[in-house]
Amino acid sequence: MTDQEQPVVLIAEDEQTIAEGYELWLSDQYEVRLTADGQEALDAVDDTVDVVLLDRMMPELSGEQVLREIRERAIDCRVAMVTAVEPDFDVVEMGFDAYITKPPERQELLDTIQQLLDRAGVDDAFQQYHSLMARRGALQAQKTEAELEQSEVYQDLLDRIESQRTEVDDNLGNMGAEVDFVSAVREVEDGDSGFDDVELGEGENFEDADTGDFETSEGSDD
Amino acid sequence: MTDAYDVSGALPGGDLDELPAGTNIVVVGPSMSGKQALALELLAAGYEDGDGILCISTESAEKVYTDLERHVDSLDRDRVGIVDTSGGDGTDLLDATIESISSPGDLTGISVSMAKLFRHFEDRGVSDIRYGLISISTLLQYLDSSKVFRFLHVYTKRIEETGGLGIYTLSNDSHDQQVVNTITGQFDGVIELRDTDSGEMEFRVRGLGRRPTAWEPF
Repeated sequence: MTDQEQPVVLIAEDEQTIAEGYELWLSDQYEVRLTADGQEALDAVDDTVDVVLLDRMMPELSGEQVLREIRERAIDCRVAMVTAVEPDFDVVEMGFDAYITKPPERQELLDTIQQLLDRAGVDDAFQQYHSLMARRGALQAQKTEAELEQSEVYQDLLDRIESQRTEVDDNLGNMGAEVDFVSAVREVEDGDSGFDDVELGEGENFEDADTGDFETSEGSDD
Repeated sequence: MTDAYDVSGALPGGDLDELPAGTNIVVVGPSMSGKQALALELLAAGYEDGDGILCISTESAEKVYTDLERHVDSLDRDRVGIVDTSGGDGTDLLDATIESISSPGDLTGISVSMAKLFRHFEDRGVSDIRYGLISISTLLQYLDSSKVFRFLHVYTKRIEETGGLGIYTLSNDSHDQQVVNTITGQFDGVIELRDTDSGEMEFRVRGLGRRPTAWEPF
């Protein structure tokens, strides 16, 4: 991975020593951009930024105000709040994608950033998954359950669906946590949903279904 | 937290007595076939035993509330929460906690409201929650099917991980058969309803890790 391909993490932290500590932990894997307050963070944030770490309590603009502005500008990035106070439900309502309690452990910080980056990649995983599920839906509409049970193509499809679902779920993170759940739904709502007629575009793999080639069709690979 | 939700009595016969915690089940049938009444019956079936009801509705909260009252003796706002996405003025009902959302297309708003009502229940010691989403068909009028598909995946996952019971309705005469199949493929189980030539209703149950049941009178 070249430097240009490293994900970008923007940090807004007014205490310089803390900010430099984060940078030390993160700079191996990420391109780190340091800003010292909310206004600097707003000036620096753009679509090249993947994850923003916002200190909750900063002079002038608070983390919450910065987040609101980022959302209003519809910048495609995930925002984690770094807070010394154990956050309440307000973090979810404000629209943060994650929170980290201060002072964070190194691993916790790395894990949180990785989870947010994974979630940002869920669009692609979803597109694959939906496509496979749509293919199954089409086969179910064309074939009887008995025919499907006999079909290797269909059983293979079920296996691929299972592994693709696992990938989607890994990207989503822990849906038992409210902040992750709302963040995942925001990702779905704001995300590129891809082509909606995915169902029709996949037809070549079971065009033969009516001709009896269905059981032996080798067209199951993309 | 419960291991299984009691749903005995919702369907005739003994096919469906209880559903394991984390199950998501969709009621599919033609328009006006009684899908919603059955969904509400499944939602209400544990209410007397202390389960909470958290219903996302594309109709007004009043409508859901009135319909729920047919299945439950007296509602209690600590255990009934409604996310009203009809865009109405969000009239607060005395015996239910209401969250109002301007449109069924506001998925993030729906998820925040749902998480908020979850906390509301949790604070009151209500841990067994039955979630309704009525209806998927209306969501499909506001959002493309790919978005609805993805939302339902996240939403069902949430219910699975929190040990709830998810109940959904979907019409199968207003959408393409393949879209219906693709969406119902996400659920653990499907209760299908159909009209017979003689005008009687029939049902069958698919999924839930068992062999499909035969069509039976409803």
